[in-house]
Amino acid sequence: MAIKADYVLRETGGNLLRNFTLTLASVLTVLVSLALLGSALTIGYRVDNATDRWKGGIEFIVYMNSDAEQEQLASIQADLAENPLVERFSYVDQDATYEEFVELFDDQPAILESVTPDILPTSYRVVPITDDPDAIKALGDTFEGKPGVREIAFAFETVKKLQGLTERINRLILTASVALLVSALLLIINTIRMAMFARRREIEVMKLVGATNWFIRVPFMLEGLVQGLLGAGGAIVSVIFLNQWFDTEFASTGSDIPIFENFTIAGDEMSFVFMLLVGLGSLLGIGASAIAVTRFLDV
Amino acid sequence: MIKLEHVTKVYKGDVHALHETNVEINRGEFVFLVGPSGSGKSTFIRLLNKQEVPSAGNVFVAGKDIAHLSNWKVPYLRRNIGCIFQDFKLLSDKTVYENVAFALEVIGRPRHVITTQVPAILDLVGLAEKGKRRPHELSGGEQQRVSIARAFVNRPLILLADEPTGNLDPATSVGIMRLLDRINRTGTTVVMATHDQNIVNTMRRRVIELSEGDIIRDQARGVYE
Repeated sequence: MAIKADYVLRETGGNLLRNFTLTLASVLTVLVSLALLGSALTIGYRVDNATDRWKGGIEFIVYMNSDAEQEQLASIQADLAENPLVERFSYVDQDATYEEFVELFDDQPAILESVTPDILPTSYRVVPITDDPDAIKALGDTFEGKPGVREIAFAFETVKKLQGLTERINRLILTASVALLVSALLLIINTIRMAMFARRREIEVMKLVGATNWFIRVPFMLEGLVQGLLGAGGAIVSVIFLNQWFDTEFASTGSDIPIFENFTIAGDEMSFVFMLLVGLGSLLGIGASAIAVTRFLDV
Repeated sequence: MIKLEHVTKVYKGDVHALHETNVEINRGEFVFLVGPSGSGKSTFIRLLNKQEVPSAGNVFVAGKDIAHLSNWKVPYLRRNIGCIFQDFKLLSDKTVYENVAFALEVIGRPRHVITTQVPAILDLVGLAEKGKRRPHELSGGEQQRVSIARAFVNRPLILLADEPTGNLDPATSVGIMRLLDRINRTGTTVVMATHDQNIVNTMRRRVIELSEGDIIRDQARGVYE
């Protein structure tokens, strides 16, 4: 068995170096395509997180001051309950806000430490009966300036724009990513075929002396796998850099956190993206080389 | 050891390489296949290690019907069949030793087998001193000896030779034939396609003559014509 591992490593390594330019082209194509895919996914997660509280038809949020008095809260609540234009609304207290906050920033302990539930604003999330933007705007504005109200945030202003824009950008990125993934597949197939063509005499001898097809295949398939994994590794590094840039660019620190700006990604979402990239990279490499090796191996 | 029953081989374009061929070759025999180019000699040989599949009929090697052998078993069949060729098929970037060792390495033989068997076989073919040379540094005869060493290092039951002396001068060819004869005397069945009249006439072994895909002569201790 030792000699076999020895053989496989030597062959795979040799093939990768022999075809250095083609290998580099394959790896870079895998890298760029997976980096695009990873970026689109992480941006998607970030927008999702940023707009999480706008799900279920919520059109505007009445943020209260964190030191708002009970009477002020009760007055707003009564106004909402009586207003015929409000279909339903929910109150998010400081503990619930803090829970959401923790969920979003669980991988950023520095931010978490600076925040306690009592400094966070409570809020009313309002679902109106109409979806006419002007009517919603008018409805929301009636709460502006009432005692205890800090600000009114409208979905149609920010969220919808952000969601729409992200959707379009992501669709573009994903299309480019798929096109590049196909190119990567074809490039790996060709790289492996070139490698096999360069070694056709050896393969011929191997077949004649009775080497099994798997024995002949494995070094070439491993070569494809290595290309896919190198590409995935590079893509992960790129995605990490992109997300670090987002984090510094959208960093929200201090006590006055604009909750809406939660343009963040959680640790487990990040890991999922990484695992997906590694999985896709390996699948791409193995798949492409599996296609490539069939051709030269007819008995 | 080898039996062809009603074997017909038709290539694309209606080229009949073999037609209703029936042959039986026993263990330890030395058989010459003679006949003009295109008479079916190479096809005959290529059928024996399943480089070709017959269009009709059965090919038995070592008791197995190899025409219907599943593809994954073919490598194990070939481990019992050595092959040598007119153009040697040596790997130019490997040394003599590595070329022979390669045949054992790729069928998963352990290292200690390789380190004992390869020097022994190089000694047998008379190249003990040239293990570190590369094929292009050797004469044609020496290169053919390397290819014989590679074909025989795994001690196959059968040795197939497709015009092994086709590129060699007469004196060198005699040396190669002595070597093949020696291998035959160890009990290995040898099937050799050739155009070399002198060799066939000198050796006086079984001769099977093919013409346009038909066996027109099968003679023990035969001559070329």
